[in-house]
Amino acid sequence: MKKTYIIIFLSTLILGSCSDFDEDININPNLPNQASGTQLIANAQLYLPGLASSPKGEFMAQYLAETQYVGTSLYPQESTSFYGYYQGPLANLQTVLDSDDLSGSDGPVANQIAVAKILRAYFYWNLTDRWGDIPYSDALMGSENFTPEYDTQEFIYNDLFNELKEANAMMVSGSINNDIVYGGDMSKWKKLGNTIRLFMALRLSEVDEGTAQDEFNAALEDGVFTSNDDNLVFQHLADANNQNYWYSQVVASNREWWALTENLVEEMKPVDDPRLEVYGNPARATGEYVGLEFGEEENIGTEEYSLLGSQIFAQDAPVYLVTYAQVLFAKAEAAARNWTTEGDAATYYEEAVEASIEQWTGSSDGVDEFLSQPEIAFDPENAIEKISNQRWVHLYMFGYEAWSEWRRTGFPNDLVEPNGAAVPTRLSYPDNEAFNNEANYNEAVQRQFGGEDSIYGKVWWDE
Amino acid sequence: MRNKLTILALLAIFQISSMIAQERTVSGTVTVASDGMPLPGVNVLVKGTNQGTITDMDGEYAIEVASDAVLVFSSLGFERQEIPVNNQTTINVEMVEDLEGLDEVVVTALGISREKKSLGYATQEVDGEDMNLTNEQNVLGSLAGRVAGVQVTGSSGASMGGTQKIKIRGVNSISGGDQPLIVVDGTPISNANFSGSAGADFGNLGQDVNPSDIESVNVLKGPAASALYGIRGQYGVIMITTKKGQRGVKDVQVQVNSSFSIEKAGNFLPKQNMYGAGSSQSFSTLPNGDPYVAISVDESWGPKMDGTPVRQVFSFYPQDPTYGQLTPFVPHPDNIENYYETGYNLNNGVTVSGGNENTTFRLSLNDTRIEGVEPNTYLNRNNLGLSAALDLSEELTLSTNINYARNDARRPGQGSEYGVAYFNQWFQRNLDMNRLKDYKYDDGTFLHWNLRNPSSSTGEITNFSPLYWNNPYFDAYENTSEDTRDRFFGDVSLKYQITPEIDITGAIRSDMYTQNIEGRTAFGGKSLPGYSVGKYQNKEFNYELIAQYNKKFEDFSVNGTIGGNIYNRNYTYLSQATVGGLSAPGFYNIDASIDRPSTTSYKLEKQIRSAFGMISLGYLDTYFVDASIRNDNSSALPEDNNSYWYPSISGSMIFSELIESDFLTFGKLRASYAQAGSDLSPYQTTPAYGVGTVYGNVNTLYVPDNLNNPNIEPSFAHSYEAGVDLRFFNNRLGLDLTYYQQKNKNQIINLDVSGASGYSSSTINAGLIQNQGIELTLTGQPIKTDDFLWDAVFNINRNRSEVVELAPGIDVYTYGSTTYSSVSSYLNSYEGEAFGSLIGQAYQRDEATGEILLDQNNMPLYTDATHNFGSVLPDFTGGFQNAFRYKNFSLAAMIDFQGGGQFFSRSKMLGVRTGQDPLTVAINDRGMNVRDPLEDGGGVKVTGISAETGQPVEAYVDARSYYRNVVGRRIYEEWLYDASYIKLRELRLGYTFGENLMNSLPFDTVNLALIARNPAMIWQEAPDGIDPSAISTGSQSISWYESGQLATVRSYGINLNITF
Repeated sequence: MKKTYIIIFLSTLILGSCSDFDEDININPNLPNQASGTQLIANAQLYLPGLASSPKGEFMAQYLAETQYVGTSLYPQESTSFYGYYQGPLANLQTVLDSDDLSGSDGPVANQIAVAKILRAYFYWNLTDRWGDIPYSDALMGSENFTPEYDTQEFIYNDLFNELKEANAMMVSGSINNDIVYGGDMSKWKKLGNTIRLFMALRLSEVDEGTAQDEFNAALEDGVFTSNDDNLVFQHLADANNQNYWYSQVVASNREWWALTENLVEEMKPVDDPRLEVYGNPARATGEYVGLEFGEEENIGTEEYSLLGSQIFAQDAPVYLVTYAQVLFAKAEAAARNWTTEGDAATYYEEAVEASIEQWTGSSDGVDEFLSQPEIAFDPENAIEKISNQRWVHLYMFGYEAWSEWRRTGFPNDLVEPNGAAVPTRLSYPDNEAFNNEANYNEAVQRQFGGEDSIYGKVWWDE
Repeated sequence: MRNKLTILALLAIFQISSMIAQERTVSGTVTVASDGMPLPGVNVLVKGTNQGTITDMDGEYAIEVASDAVLVFSSLGFERQEIPVNNQTTINVEMVEDLEGLDEVVVTALGISREKKSLGYATQEVDGEDMNLTNEQNVLGSLAGRVAGVQVTGSSGASMGGTQKIKIRGVNSISGGDQPLIVVDGTPISNANFSGSAGADFGNLGQDVNPSDIESVNVLKGPAASALYGIRGQYGVIMITTKKGQRGVKDVQVQVNSSFSIEKAGNFLPKQNMYGAGSSQSFSTLPNGDPYVAISVDESWGPKMDGTPVRQVFSFYPQDPTYGQLTPFVPHPDNIENYYETGYNLNNGVTVSGGNENTTFRLSLNDTRIEGVEPNTYLNRNNLGLSAALDLSEELTLSTNINYARNDARRPGQGSEYGVAYFNQWFQRNLDMNRLKDYKYDDGTFLHWNLRNPSSSTGEITNFSPLYWNNPYFDAYENTSEDTRDRFFGDVSLKYQITPEIDITGAIRSDMYTQNIEGRTAFGGKSLPGYSVGKYQNKEFNYELIAQYNKKFEDFSVNGTIGGNIYNRNYTYLSQATVGGLSAPGFYNIDASIDRPSTTSYKLEKQIRSAFGMISLGYLDTYFVDASIRNDNSSALPEDNNSYWYPSISGSMIFSELIESDFLTFGKLRASYAQAGSDLSPYQTTPAYGVGTVYGNVNTLYVPDNLNNPNIEPSFAHSYEAGVDLRFFNNRLGLDLTYYQQKNKNQIINLDVSGASGYSSSTINAGLIQNQGIELTLTGQPIKTDDFLWDAVFNINRNRSEVVELAPGIDVYTYGSTTYSSVSSYLNSYEGEAFGSLIGQAYQRDEATGEILLDQNNMPLYTDATHNFGSVLPDFTGGFQNAFRYKNFSLAAMIDFQGGGQFFSRSKMLGVRTGQDPLTVAINDRGMNVRDPLEDGGGVKVTGISAETGQPVEAYVDARSYYRNVVGRRIYEEWLYDASYIKLRELRLGYTFGENLMNSLPFDTVNLALIARNPAMIWQEAPDGIDPSAISTGSQSISWYESGQLATVRSYGINLNITF
């Protein structure tokens, strides 16, 4: 009798402890298991404004000065993380590029790939310009490589040129879905890819002029931006989920922490630059445009200086990333450097300023008068300086890009050195790279900067 | 001894012959030897049979026995006695109290009762009375210091039932998730935590147990004791046994317990009272020339508070009586203290218990109301408990435990930038807290203390939105966070006694709760108005079948268990929050969201199917061997590899049985080896995408930052343990020494990886973390006379951890990081080092001399955030509990302590940065205040070596630049503190009214006590104002930094306990 009980009991147990569960018990019901390529690309596009909207970037180009808590603008030796770009947009784009089952129902697969390649190249280009050598060939491989090696900036530039050329070549007719920036218009993507190549080529002007010139002309050949309509602009929405960074700071967080710098106001105010009233608001105390000296720690305040312009911190403000005016400045520079025989520098320069004013103010009225002023008028003797200074004014609020151009050309040449601290020449790698990827980090720092991960190391193209 | 056992065994075998001996009724009274009080609830058993009874409320019993039987008297906490009947009809027994009873029965894994002496591993019980000494807000906090190797850290009493975390034998999980399983009467209950590392601390859910229901707590310290819990047993088990009604007691016993205590905030960080708000020592002026306080600055680097008439912030509000007026600029030294109120804790409980021959019954009801020391915070808790057992027949017993708990709370925020923790971090020494208290003017305008500066043309302020911080009273009364939880847990079981040796028990156990959390952000403050609401529901069921076999042969005893369990968990939640603001003031609803609200709906299912068996053999009551095995199949593991085995073996020898000694009463050697494990939450083995922001009509998806792993395995702990139990001089002195080693392999962690891989972390099985240590418990009765008794228990644990290996190619694991003002610090574990090194920015030092390197402005240079300051874990922890009794008075005092360990204090650092700390007004060696101008002899003296020239430097630098921009912001080395402390945690002085009084009252006993919780920090290494025993906040499971710690709370009260 007892044995029977025990046998029944044991068999119950064995039945009860079998290891077969419902097939899908461990499949997450809360998240999608599939994503379309264009949804991933769209998510990567949400990171575009973040490339520009950053106080640190504005401090690097000295567009903005701190009205209180002066600290970051004093150029402290501190690290800046690039992880967010890899984990965010780049991981999404890589997933699209690695996918073998992209659906044509969201537009031609070749076009999805081309767009992903262009965006990936654009993010990588921004990263390498800021930090120098970065993980590239080994990056974005997930569990296949948690400790990616750093590639040299030279290698990355050359590979990005190829990537962008491939993208240019592979596009077919037919638009793609879920495209936040260009509404699926592939002709604009094509121009964007070539325009990025154009700017990358220009960046090499000091380190390898031959390649710079060749790539520059090749990009022109393939077709670059032809009007402001082609601009890569991220349009924020009047919606807290998609709002402008500066709105969240100035309005939502009540932070009037930034004023226009004295340098910027002094560049624009004497020539009645029509962009100034977009860039900033008059000082509340006087109703005048007054710049705050960059790095000033004592005489600061929010009443006496021009703060950010209302349009700049509007909730649905646009963020300009790659623009037609830059193309014209680049052409002007190429002409001045005799890279091309097409067109002349002065004309391109004037067109560039006009495109910029049109971009920022919506109108080009009075541009001729503005350009006729001696401070503004093109000067062939100082072509690079003229072009660079106006490009600096144009690149307002994309400080990182302006800072790269400053590093390349040395203009504007009157940037301030707060407390004797020179403008940095790169960003320092993330602190935690020294733990997470120690050997490769050390090698990269040693290779480029003799072992010191300083903000004063120089990247490859910065000669 | 051996002969005696043989005789007893023979007696048992010949029990049939005794059956024919003459039956008679034996009766008597059982009393406590020390005070002669009657002892109810004593088991009176006829030796060798199942026949028995229990003494009633007056300690009396009566039982039919054979004239040659032997009666066994036993009761928890008393020495067991065997008395031959020998034809007597009255047997009165005096029970002798037994601190650490040799025949003590303890509840072990799966609820199996075992004689403590037969166990081959360390076990330490805590009496229910000790869990109730002073009514801790979170009952788990009462375990602090009571059990060797068990460390309890928690938040301050200001948190309203905040988290109490339990660590057994060091950090066993590299990711910190090593909370033990909590089991109440055999039912595993959730100890989840809804808190983040900042914000309201909702506390861990284990606190839903009614403290006054607790009979005892047994801590199974790791795999040796908890192997039978298999995949849930790696981090030990807290076994809670609740009180039950008593069989055979015909009386109904009613107990009423009331306590009331007041709660006071104390232990504030010291502050300077010389300089007020501002960035420079002169006032700005209005157009009319009046000076005004720097209301746009939340720091105290301003002018001297010398009574100068100035426009203060209140004078800019047209509604304010001081509008436009100048008032003296003076310090308010107690402005922070003034914010705190006197709270109270009122606790009322009643229990009714009873039973007869076939049933037992106990019903308890408890009501706790706590008003916090922070304004407008409270916690109300109700507990209802029912336990009952009914003998359906001779063989069948049906029993149940049902517990209901309800929590209803409004809790303060904590952590930097949350709640009022900013007082120590960013504040003005000149602010009058009492003026801020009326935070709303009659016309509805809210009063705040930091605003934009007045217009330099009109001298008026028109924008009354706060710049950095809300008025603390606005936060307390308008931005409230409320939560409620309804919880049921318990079991129904049926036990079938097939033969006297074999029984089978089937049980259904469940734990279910619904947690609601709601948060409001009001119009008129710093942040966009908003509302968030979440409902979290968890259901756990355990279906269990266990067969047990118990048999004593001549020299052998056998105890076998075999069983199976199915665990099923269903968890769902729905959480929503408004985005972009609210459509109308006061309309707190998701419908009020201006933009598309954020919502998450979530469901989870998990199953574990298990089978287990255990056998325990004893020989001559001297040698014992246990072996057990468990198999678990978890649905959260990869489908083709989800079944794992967990074995254990242990042995012990009671060597005192083999030797004769006058002073050694008891001696045991024991050793064990075991494995237990833990797995992971579901859905981490297959990839999924994240749902991103919706842009217009574009729905975006993204690749998550954590990489799931299809090859994950459960983690395994291998535990080795050996120890000795010694009792001397008739139990007057006891020593329990244990050495253990636990190797935790294949830890499931989300390893931080280089973000350049595309992921921030990856779920992996990582390496090996090893803990080894020694636990020592000394128990003693240093004084024992008729009138005076002193019981003491001292325990100490020294644990050493080492991260032996991580993953291939990975030699560092980041447990956590914190960043403030772009300066980060990390808690890292390095291969080959102790767990948990604090990493941050240190002074740059000259290699040859160790002197600090200075830059061209003579400011200290600092390293990257990569300097290793060493482990944060303590060298040793322990407790010292004392109970004194003199006649009717009793005094209990609980002390716990920690040696070593470290943390950094952001509150202290920021207090210096913002010019609030007394350090910023120190007198330098030139006899001048450091804030005085350098040319007048002020400034902070720095010495070091110039990095540029290599020459020694001795110089004076501007205090504000030095403290605010460099040392108080970037150099964490300066703000590291040793975490050692000795704390008086609980104190209770009680008086039990004498029998004479009781005879004239309708009560059985009346006890009145004065109680104090957290009355004093006896000693600490860290500076005053920081409590090193309560630095970890919320769900942060390892204490390594302090940031916005809640105020220390001390409470004092009175407790009345009546039984009738």
